[in-house]
Amino acid sequence: METLKQKALDYTLGILPKDESLLFEAMLEDNDEARHSLTEAQEDCARIGLSAQPKSLGKEVKQRILENCQPSLNFDPFLESKPIQNLRTTFSRTTDRYTGGGGCVTLRNINDARLQDEINRLYNDLITLSPLVAGDSDAAAGDMASLHSMLKGIPSFSQSIDSLLTNPISKDKEGDGAQSVYRSLLSSMPSLSFFSDRLNGKSYSMGDVRRLFYLCRDQLKIMRASFDDIDPNRLVEDEKLRLHSAGLLQTKWWGAEHAYFSAQGKVRCGHFFDGPVTERCVEFAEYDANMYCLANLLSPRSSNGEFHMELIKDAVPNCILAIARAETTKGRHDELDQIVNGIKSKSTSLQNDHILWELIEESMLRAHQHSTLSELKKASLFGCHRLENSSYLWFAWPAIENSQGGAVA
Amino acid sequence: MLKIENDIWEKIRDGDSLAFEQLYDGFAGAMFSLSLEILGDRWEAEEVIQDIFAVLWRKPEAYSPKKGKFSSWLLVLTRNRSIDRYRSRKRRLDRGETDEILQSRPDQANKDGAEKATASDEREHLNRAFSNLPPEQRKIIELSYFKGMNQQEIAEKLNLSLGTVKSRTRLGIEKLRNSLSTLRL
Repeated sequence: METLKQKALDYTLGILPKDESLLFEAMLEDNDEARHSLTEAQEDCARIGLSAQPKSLGKEVKQRILENCQPSLNFDPFLESKPIQNLRTTFSRTTDRYTGGGGCVTLRNINDARLQDEINRLYNDLITLSPLVAGDSDAAAGDMASLHSMLKGIPSFSQSIDSLLTNPISKDKEGDGAQSVYRSLLSSMPSLSFFSDRLNGKSYSMGDVRRLFYLCRDQLKIMRASFDDIDPNRLVEDEKLRLHSAGLLQTKWWGAEHAYFSAQGKVRCGHFFDGPVTERCVEFAEYDANMYCLANLLSPRSSNGEFHMELIKDAVPNCILAIARAETTKGRHDELDQIVNGIKSKSTSLQNDHILWELIEESMLRAHQHSTLSELKKASLFGCHRLENSSYLWFAWPAIENSQGGAVA
Repeated sequence: MLKIENDIWEKIRDGDSLAFEQLYDGFAGAMFSLSLEILGDRWEAEEVIQDIFAVLWRKPEAYSPKKGKFSSWLLVLTRNRSIDRYRSRKRRLDRGETDEILQSRPDQANKDGAEKATASDEREHLNRAFSNLPPEQRKIIELSYFKGMNQQEIAEKLNLSLGTVKSRTRLGIEKLRNSLSTLRL
């Protein structure tokens, strides 16, 4: 009996060896004493659990959790649409899977010295900011003094981006460096600057601190994956093999508020698969930047302020589809269609939106190890499609072969 | 705190979103407090709670009344998922990974989960029960419950035999059970 109680306790605490756990579980089927011991051990452990210092959860956590109860949007019509049917027939996985790092340049080779200095400064400010918004920070516990002091002591991120984007960064002058600069300034940075501005003001919530934490973490990784000399020590870690699960993206996007400059949107999820998406931090950073580009293109065009972000695996074999979907007017959809097809008007108002899509295209060339965009487009590896009153943007990423379950970063 | 009965699970299993909300209102705070105590990180603790509620809604059969009381199962699941994250973070630190957040985070090994309890009547009750335990039993329960160390690791850390660790754990928990038997769950 004592042995059984010990086993039940160890099982409850998760320290019973795997083989013994399986035997114990089998015992639970028809052994009343084993069941009784387990119930007793669980109640003992639960009581200890109640000794934790009471802390309250924010309202936004409840909102996020209750979203589970809302019916998931039906993505089947999109998955059965012509472009995705075409993708099913054309998609094939390359032998050597791309694991990121291809869009990286050396910051000191950027010709514009002011750009170099400003990017370095932004990176260092974000390194200082990160621990101030982490889950164990004073700000996460409701004390904003250190965070406010830091934010007031540096130029605002939004002003910095505006200033750096005043003049186009010339591809002729900067070569591939232009893409790295734009990826660093236009993917997660606009949302990051929105939340840091809001936290620096008077009207903010605990959810904003959490959002800024995720944005900071992503932005730093995107910058390291864009410039190999900005933080070489941390880049070494980012380049190591380590699976990143779709759960990391779902946690971040689920119920989130997203901002692209002055446009804000509420994100909805519901179809994220469970399992790894990328194999290295540098790959995750590139994937993440692409997801931000999708969100930035779609959120300002949503008719109702909401948009969906989804990761669907195996709807196309061996492929992970990143999909963004929003209700849009015909006019807004046509605008997206022009951006995706590279049709530029004389107006400069959509200039940054064209760059967002070009960032995805460049990344797709690397991911599919291809040299021509037209063939990738023809294969529907990325694109824009309208169904009823909704616009869908997507890109296809090669799945990891023989991947096992979810993994942590 | 709401007393969670098994019938709330039955309602959730049948797709009753009000029951799901009721469970959240009554019990998420206790689950979050436990997770935060173990992890010391608000965002990670929120993620643990978010994941558990998502599983509960989508796969309610993850629980079965055969597994004991619903409330106990929820707290044990919260504790085990939090410990998994804690261990994963510790492994990363042990490997010398240089994530900017991990780097700035002090090792929480010295943080005493049980001794920080002071607030409600229930917690005072718990605190008293803990402080009445012989220190050698209390230490082992803290290392096991809040730090997720297995008995071999505890034996090595405290320089004790495995048998001593096992018997002290069991004796400590039995004493706690006797002192806390009036505490509702």
